[in-house]
Amino acid sequence: MSIVSRNNVRVRGHGQRTMIFAHGFGCDQNMWRLVAPAFEADFKTVLFDHVGAGQSDLTAYDAEKYSTLSGYVDDLIEICRELGLTQAVFVGHSVSAMIGVLASLKAPELFESLVLVGPSPRYINDGEYVGGFTAAEIAELLDSLDDNHMGWSASMAPAIMGNADRPELGEELTNSFCRTDPEMAKAFARVTFTSDNRSDLPHVTAGTLILQCRDDIIASEEVGEFVHRSVPNSQLIVLDASGHCPNLSAPGEVISAIRGFL
Amino acid sequence: MTPSDEKSPMPAEDLEDLYENAPCGYLSLQPDGRIIKSNRTLSTWIGIPADKLLGKRLRDLLNMAGRIFYETHFAPLLRMQGHFQEVALDLITVDGTKLAVLANAYEKRNDDGALLFTRVTLFQATERRSYERGLVDARLASDKAEAAMRSELDLEHENAELREQFIAVLGHDLRNPLAAINAGTRMLRKDALSEKSLGVLDMMEGSVVRMSGLIDNVLDFARGRLGNGIGLDRNANDPLEPVLLQVVDELRSSHPGREIEIVSRIVEPVDCDRGRIGQLLSNLVGNALTHGAADLPIRVSAMTNGTSLELWVANGGTPISKNAMARLFHPFFRGEVRVDQEGLGLGLHIASEIARAHDGVLMVTSDPQETRFTFSMPLVDRVN
Repeated sequence: MSIVSRNNVRVRGHGQRTMIFAHGFGCDQNMWRLVAPAFEADFKTVLFDHVGAGQSDLTAYDAEKYSTLSGYVDDLIEICRELGLTQAVFVGHSVSAMIGVLASLKAPELFESLVLVGPSPRYINDGEYVGGFTAAEIAELLDSLDDNHMGWSASMAPAIMGNADRPELGEELTNSFCRTDPEMAKAFARVTFTSDNRSDLPHVTAGTLILQCRDDIIASEEVGEFVHRSVPNSQLIVLDASGHCPNLSAPGEVISAIRGFL
Repeated sequence: MTPSDEKSPMPAEDLEDLYENAPCGYLSLQPDGRIIKSNRTLSTWIGIPADKLLGKRLRDLLNMAGRIFYETHFAPLLRMQGHFQEVALDLITVDGTKLAVLANAYEKRNDDGALLFTRVTLFQATERRSYERGLVDARLASDKAEAAMRSELDLEHENAELREQFIAVLGHDLRNPLAAINAGTRMLRKDALSEKSLGVLDMMEGSVVRMSGLIDNVLDFARGRLGNGIGLDRNANDPLEPVLLQVVDELRSSHPGREIEIVSRIVEPVDCDRGRIGQLLSNLVGNALTHGAADLPIRVSAMTNGTSLELWVANGGTPISKNAMARLFHPFFRGEVRVDQEGLGLGLHIASEIARAHDGVLMVTSDPQETRFTFSMPLVDRVN
């Protein structure tokens, strides 16, 4: 099976430089639908789904490989190598911000710069460090995934089909957006919310832009500042947007922040 | 109906009351996600008055797990498609307990597409949630039981395979000492021996024949079980008849005192593995010697009739019981034998496997007059 179909890789746009966008826990590459097209005139853009999400090849899911972030990191590196990318711009949301950081440490030639949207190197509080969640709260999250997937996989999926209200978004995206196999979603949640990559941050050499939202319970401003302090060559921009998904709620702000950085 | 009923006007629905006391909770969110209006039903459920809800976000009413899920799944979904439906959430009531609800939400936009409100409807789902929990638990339990059963089965298969490999190796290793005994009896026979010693040698040679037959059966059985099946070395050119006669001769000499008659008329070439057909006959006659009446002759017939080869072995004595008939060709079936005659019970099984490998059949009829095993196989020109 090819890497391109495994990760549902989509290449658009034209330009000497390439931007690769990675989605976080919860949804798929359509998370970038309001952002990536803005760069297609000057950049080649690459979007993909992590295995287990969106329209990735679910048969490629290997519970052991994806039991740590490094499984996802290896996939990202493979995609870049398959497409012959070097010195690209990596744009990662949520947990994929850390996946990009780890990939840049493992294969420094791939990315000349990193754009981290709502990054968090560790979600669970640890002594002085405030990740935003207690271990018990994360345990409760992992338990409660079952609750939602009962209604989610069976009843929710058909509800996502129709998209009469926003026809401009197209049908193909709503069919898969946010739909994940419950077991894979659970594993991805575990990997995401139990990860600790704080010690990796000081080794980042790529120029890094951190986009921080206000009022983001998943990755708070405190966490954004921690990332900024830890990554040597980094710049922090606090957006006006609130919540965890500025790529959907404030795409214009995200686009102009990235443009300014590049 | 009375006239007065007809005249009284239908009471108009009180929309204000419908909103406040609807059988579901209502919330309206501003574009920034903050609560701008909510109904009394919701306040009653969670014990927080409406004015205290103003300015909060929906996620503030949720437990932490729900907040994470809301931010990573439902907020993007709402933003992307303008609505979500049947989302399972837990509201936290004023005393800290969880209230399971199902939520639907729709964005209300103006003509320019700008977001005005997000309207959220909440339905109590405590019963439903606990039922779903039960379903999940039941599924987990059944998955677990299935996995346990599967691993037990795998272990059993592994054991069975080991056993059969053991049989195959053992059978093979027994052949060498048996060959040595056979050579030894032949050497002893050259010396001048007493009548008694010669009798002992006869018995020993008979035992060697019987034992090598048993080993052949065990090996074939193990091979068949290990998935290789019974291999055939077919040959239509060499005559079958001498092989059959030799088998009968050997059995006669190892069973002095028993009468074995053979009638043979094989006039067409038989495309078969002659050694295997010999083994089949040996097994059938061996079976007749064990189970047939000792004072009645065993009759063997081998004929071709233009389309098939028919080989049968008949003996007199007690007929095979109906019960035994059903399992006759199963491996390790031993019928009602005397202890001193006990074999492995593989003879008939192997014979039926040999029949099958030749596209033939092995059948049995049994009544007080006669028990007869009949093997028939088609005579086909396999070359053309």
